[in-house]
Amino acid sequence: MENILTDIIFLPLIIAIVLGVARASLPLLRAGAIFSSLATLALTLFLTYDFNPHQGLQFLVNAPWIQNAGITYNIGVDYLSLVVLLLITTIMPLLYLYMLKENRKGYWYNMMLLQTGVTGAVLSLDLILFYLFWETMLLPIFIMIGKYGSGMQQYNSMKIVLMTILGSMSMLFSILYIGYIYFETTGIWSFALSDLSTLIFEAKTSIWLTAGFLLAFAIKIPLVGFHTWMAPAYGSAPTPAVVIMSAIMAKLGVYGIWRFGFSLFGSTLHFYEPIIIVLALIGLIYYAIVAITETNLRRMFAYSSGSHLSLIALGIFLSNIYAWGGSLYFIATHAIASAGMFMVIGLTYHRFRTLNISELGGIASQMPIFTFFFAFFALSIAGLPGTGGFVGELLIIIGAFKASFWVGVFTATTMLSAMVYIFWMLQRTLFGKANNETIVSDLNLKEILMLVPLVILLLLTGIMPSLFIPFIEPGLLGALK
Amino acid sequence: MINELFFALPMISVLLGALTLMLLSHNKNISLKNFNFIAVFFLLIAFVSEYLILGHNTQDYLFEAIFKHTFILDDFATIFDLMFTLGAILTLLVNSDYFKSRSYFSGEYFSLILFSVLGMMMLSHAHELLTVFIALEIASLSIYTLVGYHKNKRVSSEAMMKYMVLGSMTGAFFMLGTALIYAAVGSTTLENISLYVNATPIEDMTLLVVGGSFLMVTIMFKIGAVPFHSWIIDVYHGAPYPITMFMASTFKIAIFAIALRLYIVNFAQINHFWTEMLQAITILTLLGGSWLAISQNIVKRMLAGSSIVHSGYLLIGISSIGLGSELAAPAIMFYLMAYFLSAVGSFGILSFIASQSKKQMTYEDFKGFANRRPYMALMMSIFMLSLAGFPSTIGFLGKFYIFTSAIESGQLILAGLGIMTAFISVYYYFKLIAMMYFYPTDHEQKKLPIDISTIIIAIMALFVIWGGIGTSLIPFIPGADGFIETAKIAINSLK
Repeated sequence: MENILTDIIFLPLIIAIVLGVARASLPLLRAGAIFSSLATLALTLFLTYDFNPHQGLQFLVNAPWIQNAGITYNIGVDYLSLVVLLLITTIMPLLYLYMLKENRKGYWYNMMLLQTGVTGAVLSLDLILFYLFWETMLLPIFIMIGKYGSGMQQYNSMKIVLMTILGSMSMLFSILYIGYIYFETTGIWSFALSDLSTLIFEAKTSIWLTAGFLLAFAIKIPLVGFHTWMAPAYGSAPTPAVVIMSAIMAKLGVYGIWRFGFSLFGSTLHFYEPIIIVLALIGLIYYAIVAITETNLRRMFAYSSGSHLSLIALGIFLSNIYAWGGSLYFIATHAIASAGMFMVIGLTYHRFRTLNISELGGIASQMPIFTFFFAFFALSIAGLPGTGGFVGELLIIIGAFKASFWVGVFTATTMLSAMVYIFWMLQRTLFGKANNETIVSDLNLKEILMLVPLVILLLLTGIMPSLFIPFIEPGLLGALK
Repeated sequence: MINELFFALPMISVLLGALTLMLLSHNKNISLKNFNFIAVFFLLIAFVSEYLILGHNTQDYLFEAIFKHTFILDDFATIFDLMFTLGAILTLLVNSDYFKSRSYFSGEYFSLILFSVLGMMMLSHAHELLTVFIALEIASLSIYTLVGYHKNKRVSSEAMMKYMVLGSMTGAFFMLGTALIYAAVGSTTLENISLYVNATPIEDMTLLVVGGSFLMVTIMFKIGAVPFHSWIIDVYHGAPYPITMFMASTFKIAIFAIALRLYIVNFAQINHFWTEMLQAITILTLLGGSWLAISQNIVKRMLAGSSIVHSGYLLIGISSIGLGSELAAPAIMFYLMAYFLSAVGSFGILSFIASQSKKQMTYEDFKGFANRRPYMALMMSIFMLSLAGFPSTIGFLGKFYIFTSAIESGQLILAGLGIMTAFISVYYYFKLIAMMYFYPTDHEQKKLPIDISTIIIAIMALFVIWGGIGTSLIPFIPGADGFIETAKIAINSLK
């Protein structure tokens, strides 16, 4: 354990294994999980302090792993993975705070496994290693939806697993084929990204290989057409799993395109550019319309999340500094906002035992503090100026206008449509007549405590983007060249 | 001579064990536990001596003065022998509870297992076609009897009849093939066959090719490739659990021992003749096996169906050899080891559960299993993940090597189809995991008994994980690299 990144990845897993073998009691397990999340957060902050924004990949580890197949343990961090890493480690402790009263042990184990899975996928620079984490992070989600979820959860968890694995299997095929091409040209096996990105593929092969990767990422995001798992899975999953899925895992699809797509098949991606942009634009509008008609809060925000992720995917494929910067900024702010939103939705469910908009209403008069947080997160998802989401969306829209007028026009509708469903939803849930007889209490200190950091982060990113942009700008400019 | 006795020790020890058990089985005073102990004892001697022999072969042939070139000695055979004896030992140990729970087991049972191990060991060493046939029949006849051992049970007897009639018929194909090859070559030793194959122009080898195809029919039948698969699900279902475990994990591997030897060494010059036939069979096997596995409701039958799919992956590797892939042969060896570990584990857990209940064990019966036996459920999940080829298990690396070899030999469609069936297999394996974890149970078991079966299954599970992610840092315990090194040693020792 000589490397800080290795510690960050494997600390939760090791703690989980030790606790599992020792058959730890619930309080100990809880303490261990919270410790693991806080320790990784501390390590990540320490890493950020040492991070040099003017340099590419840092803190590299390159150790041989399965030597016969040229698979290496190759990890590293750059501005992009650092953003996602910070998101993961910030959200995890808050999630543990959210599920503090949870007394099912499996829940805690799965969360720790999940953290290792997503962190590993973000940091790995070897394709097989990436594939390993990419698949492993699915297992806890599978168990959490199926075991702790609600409403046809067994069916829905099977659905998300099968669809995601279909994508990753196609990615595996591409990975193996690329590895073989490298072997054919150089005579040695390697799956390290730095080696493979030196390859130049034949045009036709390259198109197929890219398709393999894109299918995996499109299902994960999900782009429209690949989204049938999304609403059922979000609807059935327990809140911590939803938060991770929407705030982290969906972003990993975009991250994958950025990290692996661009460095492996830079030019071939341009072939797919129009298709993805059209899909993203359709998704943007289609998801927003479905969100307007949706009556279940969690499903509504599932579609809203899909809509915004389509926006991020669009930003990436526009390939100019505004769009890229906006995408990266929006990855972070949307993750924070959607984490907050899904937590608040979870709290709503705790209190009212329903998420149907028609059965809610008049919350504002009963629970003023709750109303503030609910409205704040919902509005920041809609892109209220002053919150981080606004900055990200605005940058992407500027980038879209820079690319083409019509793309810009369609992209701009996302803000409008989001306003429509958010305001209408707020009106029906928070205000008006109460449709629910339940007597509820307002947020307690613990709940306020777990939401306040997210509010602060959203306000900071919204009011002072100049604090963060310089941090990512050099990397972006370097990547664009 | 003494030296050669040492090389023969594994086989002699297994034979002695089989005879001893046969003679003792009349004695009603000896308990099953002691029979089991005796069988394991002789197998352990064989296992340890094989381990010592591995890499230290000084002779080419066993008892050359007596048997001439009938039995070859090489690391390839020894590594297979290690797997056979290990498979038998694990079968006997894991099932000790099962033997107690059923009344029909007796001393002959253990004797027959040892005889079949002897047959398999002869098979891996055989260097002459008639010996191959005899070895195959020794192993098969023992297994036929074992399958029908529960003679009052209808399914069991039906399975035995089905297996024996069909098996004997394909055995006849083997004889016919041998006769044709003898007509062409004038000898049945593999050595002479190799000489003939290398010396004769390809047009004059019609008889040999036809004979070889007949041999292939038998081999395909035994591994359950699709046009010859109709027995496999019923037989696996009808046989007692320990025998299903033994057949699926060990006997199937034995067939690959001789298939690989023939295909890689003796028919190396002409193996491209069979490539297209093999490819067609592979496609049928992958698709048909997946279809059969999906449509089953009893877990044992599902695993039987999925074992057909695993034969399909191995066949991808075999047809890659014919197209000149260098990776393919070690890939097949590695896959065999990976499949061996996962199959022993998964069938072991099934028979462990079966020893405590008389249920059929459909998917439904697994509902809530994770609450009753959390560790067992965890290990079963590990084996299921490994069989499905999920990364971080040994099964993933097995598929990794097989598919890269297919890509290397240019069989992109087969590689794609293999990945596709791996995706389908996720469904039926994950379904079991879902059943175990997603449903509550009424009675939660607080005390978790630890016995020899659980320990062995746990060790298997650790091997499955370690074989997928382990490095060679710990000596004597093969990690992911160690297994493929062993596979390479085995293939390189073929001559």
